[in-house]
Amino acid sequence: MIRRTAAALGVVAALAAASAPALAQQQQQQQQQQAPAWAQGRPPEMAGSRLAPHAPRLTVTPPDQVPVSALRVPSGFRVELWAHGLPGARMMALGQNGTVFVGTRVIGRVYAVTDEGGQRRVRTIAERLTQPNGVAFRDGSLYVIAINRVLRYDGIEGRLDDPGTPVELTAAFNLPPDEHHGWKFAAFSPDGRLTMNIGVPCNICEFDRDRYALIVSFRPDGSDRRIEARGIRNSVGFDWHPVTRELWATNNGRDWAGNDVPPDTLHRIRRPGEDHGFPFCVGDWNDPAVPRRNCSEFVQPAASLGPHVAALGMRFYTGAMFPEQYRNQIFIARRGSWNREQLIGYDVVVARLDAQGNVTGIEPFLTGLLDQANDRFLGRPVDVLQLRDGSLLVSDEQNGAIYRISRAQ
Amino acid sequence: MTFPLRSLAAAVALAAAAFLCTAAGAAGDDAARRGAALAEARGCGGCHGERGRSPTANVPSLAGQPAEAIVLNMILFREGLRDAPPMPDLARDLTDRQIEDLAAFYASLPPGPPEDRGAPDPARMREGALLAERLNCGVCHLPDYAGQNQVPRLAGQREDYLLLSLKGYRDGTRRGTDTSMNAVVYGLSDAELAALAHYLAHAPP
Repeated sequence: MIRRTAAALGVVAALAAASAPALAQQQQQQQQQQAPAWAQGRPPEMAGSRLAPHAPRLTVTPPDQVPVSALRVPSGFRVELWAHGLPGARMMALGQNGTVFVGTRVIGRVYAVTDEGGQRRVRTIAERLTQPNGVAFRDGSLYVIAINRVLRYDGIEGRLDDPGTPVELTAAFNLPPDEHHGWKFAAFSPDGRLTMNIGVPCNICEFDRDRYALIVSFRPDGSDRRIEARGIRNSVGFDWHPVTRELWATNNGRDWAGNDVPPDTLHRIRRPGEDHGFPFCVGDWNDPAVPRRNCSEFVQPAASLGPHVAALGMRFYTGAMFPEQYRNQIFIARRGSWNREQLIGYDVVVARLDAQGNVTGIEPFLTGLLDQANDRFLGRPVDVLQLRDGSLLVSDEQNGAIYRISRAQ
Repeated sequence: MTFPLRSLAAAVALAAAAFLCTAAGAAGDDAARRGAALAEARGCGGCHGERGRSPTANVPSLAGQPAEAIVLNMILFREGLRDAPPMPDLARDLTDRQIEDLAAFYASLPPGPPEDRGAPDPARMREGALLAERLNCGVCHLPDYAGQNQVPRLAGQREDYLLLSLKGYRDGTRRGTDTSMNAVVYGLSDAELAALAHYLAHAPP
């Protein structure tokens, strides 16, 4: 009954609008934008779904409640709780003196974690920011990116107790202010360019492809913007191959196209400016919500990482602590699904590469946070970071914790 | 009398689960009790109502709200990320534990409409119902608008507060754990938001 009335109202609106095309267009645009960003492109058969983004935990998880005993790593490795009490901990960056800087989203903080005599000390060095997810370190300075705000904290490791007022670089970078998919992953390229994602401000839509769904790089002062890759919906993790220096990136596939499509993907970017296909194609899958294009026009993903898994932080392993077979392979954190009827992800995997850079397999590495029997999760890994000793940190946003994986002695 | 091993294991598991549930329930009761004492000491009821049903214009009822929804907003107040005076000042010195206790207390109270709720207007109820259907409010807030997790209860909430919140989301002065609500109400007129608030305020609590 209600649906029928709505349809009738729609007809009246359409008739009224026919005499005023500009108004009709405006109304159509409004109609499109009125679907919540996460629900855009949802097919009618999923309209009754109760799937909704999971609640983040914004308060401290006491260390005895962090599910470290549930974690599993391959034989020969050990995993321990390295730091806790960092609600919302996400992306990590390593300072030259060993400080681990940690960005967040909802809670608006940046943390600094230092090792003091075998104990970790956690400080909040910035707060009241809008989604300061992007953290990058270079030449003694910490760069924090909060949607379109870019802040530089000079000499930060010498003044963690009093970081002072940062240098404001927001105008120089001139990033879009859109909050949806506007949070950043940021890192410096081997040739010193500050590189970051600019996600698309919708679930699935048509948009300015020179402005969104990009990986872009800048000189550290915000000048000389260059598009490294386009048609990448939202990459919240990338790294450069230690030998070839090629950029590799994870990407989040869109929601509401079904439980098993499209997959999140891993991308190998051989040349700056390559087009990887969003919103039109994921591999050879044409997205039905946008005009059809020939998918062979676009660079194909290097690997599928699973549907809705939220593949985020990724790094090549270059250390000496892990066995040789892990050298130059990619560790990838999969934060875990919400837009899928059965949970998937909530782990760290390894992408295996052969000598030519072809992905030969995706293997589990850190597991135990997904309780499949009860379809619930215990934690959400967001980023991985190699320490100088070759051990690997994993941030868990849900528990505000960081785990350390090392070779068992 | 002998038990097959599997049954025994199941029985042990059941007993353990029962114990854990009781322990969890008791912990929740303790948190709610501490929260009640803190709410009393802080005078939260002065604006939000002694039993969490707000008699105050533009101040929300908290009774029966999901605990996570209360925690989220208290954290946003404390961290200076949501501005609704005097809440940022009142939240400034609260610990995580105190916030969780307050949330447990208000979540434990039975929800209900404020005493000063007026009669529903049939035309605006119809308009609001159509909007709620079109905007898929019931997906996250659930079909009975009881809310879940970080998503607040809307049924029986104060109409003036619902309208204030909806305008805040539309005008970009307020956001939640993500930007979903801002996108949902993008471009809606004041009259549409008022109809939506009227409908939700009169949904059975």
